[in-house]
Amino acid sequence: MSSSKFPIPQGTLDMLILQIVSLEPVHGYGIAQRLDQISRSVVQANQGSLYPALHRLEQKGWLRAEWKQSETGREAKFYSLTASGRKQLAAEKHSWARLAGAVELIFNEGAR
Amino acid sequence: MIRRLANWFRRNKLESGLDRELRYHLGRRIIDLERSGLPIGEARRQALLELGGIAQIQEEVRDIWLTRWLRDFVYDLRFSARSFLRTPSFSITAVLSLVLGIGATTAIYSLVDQVLLHALPVRQAERLVLIDWRGDQVANGFGSWNLMSYPICRDLDKQKQFFEGVFCRALTTVNLSSGGDYRPETAEIVSGNYFPLLGIGPAVGRVLANDDDGTPNATPVAVLSYDFWETQFGGAPDVVGRKVLVNRHPLTIIGVAASTFKGIDVGQVPSIWIPASMSEQAIPGFKDLLDRRTRWMQVLGRLNQGVTLQEAQTGLQPWFKAMLQEDTRRAGFPIITAERRQEFLNSSIVLTAASQGHSGLRRRLSEPLWVLFAVTVVLLGLACLNVSGLFLARGSARDREIGTRLALGASPWRLGRQLLADSLLIALAGGLLGIAAAPIAVRTLIAFLPQGTAPTALRAGVDSRLLLFAFVASVAAGLLSGLAPAWQAGRRSLVSSLRDRGGTAFGGVRLRKVIVGAQIALTLTLVVGAGLFLRTLDALMAKGPGFMTSSLISFGIDSLRSGYPPAEGNRLIRRIDEAVRQSPITQASAIARFPLLTGGSWNDPMTILADKRISTDRDVNLNAVTPGFFPTMGIRIIAGRNFDERDAHAPDETGPAIVNEAFVKRYLGGRSPLGVRICEGSGPDAKPNIEIVGVMSNFSYRGLREESEQVYFPFFEGEGAGGTFYVRVRGTPESSFPLLRAIVHGADPALPMTDLRTLDQQLTRSLNTEHMLATLSGSFSTLAMLLSLVGLYGVMSFVVTQRTREIGIRLALGAMRWSAIWLVLRDALAMILSGIAIGLPFVWALGRLVESQLYDIKPFDPAVIAVTILLLCSAGLGAALIPAHRASGVNPTDALRVE
Repeated sequence: MSSSKFPIPQGTLDMLILQIVSLEPVHGYGIAQRLDQISRSVVQANQGSLYPALHRLEQKGWLRAEWKQSETGREAKFYSLTASGRKQLAAEKHSWARLAGAVELIFNEGAR
Repeated sequence: MIRRLANWFRRNKLESGLDRELRYHLGRRIIDLERSGLPIGEARRQALLELGGIAQIQEEVRDIWLTRWLRDFVYDLRFSARSFLRTPSFSITAVLSLVLGIGATTAIYSLVDQVLLHALPVRQAERLVLIDWRGDQVANGFGSWNLMSYPICRDLDKQKQFFEGVFCRALTTVNLSSGGDYRPETAEIVSGNYFPLLGIGPAVGRVLANDDDGTPNATPVAVLSYDFWETQFGGAPDVVGRKVLVNRHPLTIIGVAASTFKGIDVGQVPSIWIPASMSEQAIPGFKDLLDRRTRWMQVLGRLNQGVTLQEAQTGLQPWFKAMLQEDTRRAGFPIITAERRQEFLNSSIVLTAASQGHSGLRRRLSEPLWVLFAVTVVLLGLACLNVSGLFLARGSARDREIGTRLALGASPWRLGRQLLADSLLIALAGGLLGIAAAPIAVRTLIAFLPQGTAPTALRAGVDSRLLLFAFVASVAAGLLSGLAPAWQAGRRSLVSSLRDRGGTAFGGVRLRKVIVGAQIALTLTLVVGAGLFLRTLDALMAKGPGFMTSSLISFGIDSLRSGYPPAEGNRLIRRIDEAVRQSPITQASAIARFPLLTGGSWNDPMTILADKRISTDRDVNLNAVTPGFFPTMGIRIIAGRNFDERDAHAPDETGPAIVNEAFVKRYLGGRSPLGVRICEGSGPDAKPNIEIVGVMSNFSYRGLREESEQVYFPFFEGEGAGGTFYVRVRGTPESSFPLLRAIVHGADPALPMTDLRTLDQQLTRSLNTEHMLATLSGSFSTLAMLLSLVGLYGVMSFVVTQRTREIGIRLALGAMRWSAIWLVLRDALAMILSGIAIGLPFVWALGRLVESQLYDIKPFDPAVIAVTILLLCSAGLGAALIPAHRASGVNPTDALRVE
């Protein structure tokens, strides 16, 4: 792992997980692989914090879990988005966009 | 929170799920890494490294399932439970103390809740108000309290800007038959809007509506109570359309009221609801339904949404004043003095919140019940103190364990929490057992309640409110009893607890002494209270009713309600009277118009014409009796003569009267009462033309506490309303019940005989409240005494163990044995006396609280207090003597070798 990657910002992990799960039901390892792909390019997501995050989101009722056969034939725990999870994701995307926009505005202000 | 607690119970499933999930992850990762070319061992190492510690992940996830403090707390509870199981005798003592406290408090609270606090199970009970007349109604009446006439209720119902509606109701007893024998049953006479306004629906058929309460006598219908329908009709679904006989008048059943509804009077459950239009049938001889000057019904209203009680009360006055003016101009308004008229016109209307309905039981019981509730709360506090003491004692035994935990880095807060978990666990166990015992306790309590309470009125069961109360009481008890030990643990310094091998924490003893002192103070209060109630009961029993109750039996016959016209009723009563007198078991017998010792009476103010004409300043209690009454009851005629047979036939209102000594003393001063003329009523129209022919000794009419003025008239023939028979029998009274039943049955097989019981039973019933207070406060204070003696004994034993060495040295130096005993007893005495000093102000406060319940004794009675203090001191010293004796038996050499 090169030091040029920066650690994933606090609180963003939940949002990323929700985003990944929103595409299709997926198990923990699948999410880890996706995160890995992202982290290879930009950020560094610690796999150790993945499972606590998944259980936290399940506890909050944003994710629902179900044991199903995976692509390798073994049983795996698949996570999917609940209705309130979908709402939460939309809210987080919205506020992320507002934050990013605001930050950009400030930077542009400074650049001028 | 709930979901997290649920997680605790399925934690095994959660754990194995997480385990599988992580194993799947690792398996896939290892395979992937191998595919990318790593050797097998290396791939495994790499995968584990990436995940960063399985155990850590598991811990983190567990914190999510069950927040940290909750998880710790559950562990604390488990730890506590394990340590309690290791010391069963300690645990049982502690739990039992709390079972006593919580069980007693919960049981009394159950009654407090049902009788005093519970809102009626009706639609929006908080909008119900009781409407009452303040001032002189210039009316005659009958019934209990807060009475007005039916037409006024109708007028109030029209004030729609304030009320959604106004209804009225009156309780009465009817002879009711559902096909078989007649039985006296409670009936509620109600206006047609009663059910709709309360929001009570039917279980079967329909309930009464406005149309059922129209023209008098035109709507012979009735609604049954759910209980009556179940017991008398076996819950038959086709009950609608059948008939019941009310005082021999047939009424058609139109429905059964909802099962939860037991009327609006806690303690008086009606069996049947009858529309006011049929009141002539429900109350024999009553013809005044439409008379504005006959007060007999309670009037209640439902306020409009958004109208406050105050607004309605203020807003109603103008209308009310106008109505008063109009009333005085009505035909038939009595001719009264100008002052009385002014009093009438000054009347106002008063509203009071009535979300709990209207209850005579509540009126009578509210004070005794609150007193008992306070007593049980004190008892619970005592039990908590006891458990505190036990914990402190255990705490010193666990000194080493706690010291070690502190040394290993546990924070005092963490240890305190462990101790709180201990006490909470004990308290919850106590609470659970207390709730389990509560129904039995409540059933016992209900048996103590005053006469006339319908058995269906109060439940002994446990409902959610009671559960909540017991839970809150348990948690409070747990926190309270854990407070002292937790505080003690928090103060402990690490160094001292590891150094003192013997485990002597002196602060612990001081705290325990304070606790015992507080226990003594509370016990003093309870024992003094019990003493006052016992003395009250004693004084009332010693005073007696003023007549001989032994081998005396009474029973009631109501010929009017049984459908007899007056003349025939008279013949019936005379027939029964003859038969009773000729029976071989009868020594003497008599009839009174109204029964004695039932709490009620016929009463009215009177006018007396002696030297000048005066009116009595309060109601005089009246009765009418046959000539045999005074000899039968053993009541002496002090002056003048008894009634004789001729008096019974005297023309109305001119016959003779016999007054009691109290009447003579209050109204006739020194002069001879014989020949003085009196009459019922105090108005200017009253004509005193009844001559006093005799004076009887004082005896109790309504109840034992009362010393009222009484006037007795002859039992007139021609009234025909029945009465209460008093029979003095030979042999045991109970064995003559069948014979008396047979006599009444012989006179008329369908005639119900009410309240057949011995006068001793009647006397006990009339003292129910006093019995309840004396017995319960007596048993509670005995428990309190036991609890604090156990506490005292525990502390003194501990002190002796601690001071063994000191005592040994003293003995070795030549001290006498008694001086060793005195050393310990002095300590105990100091504790007891300081407890008593703390307790005395509480005793004073208690005295103020219970003053009105006492009879012939001052609330701060020196004798009772002195006896209590003596009792506490001797019992306390007795408890301390056991450890003291042990101290004196210390062998000096052994004691010195301990170190």
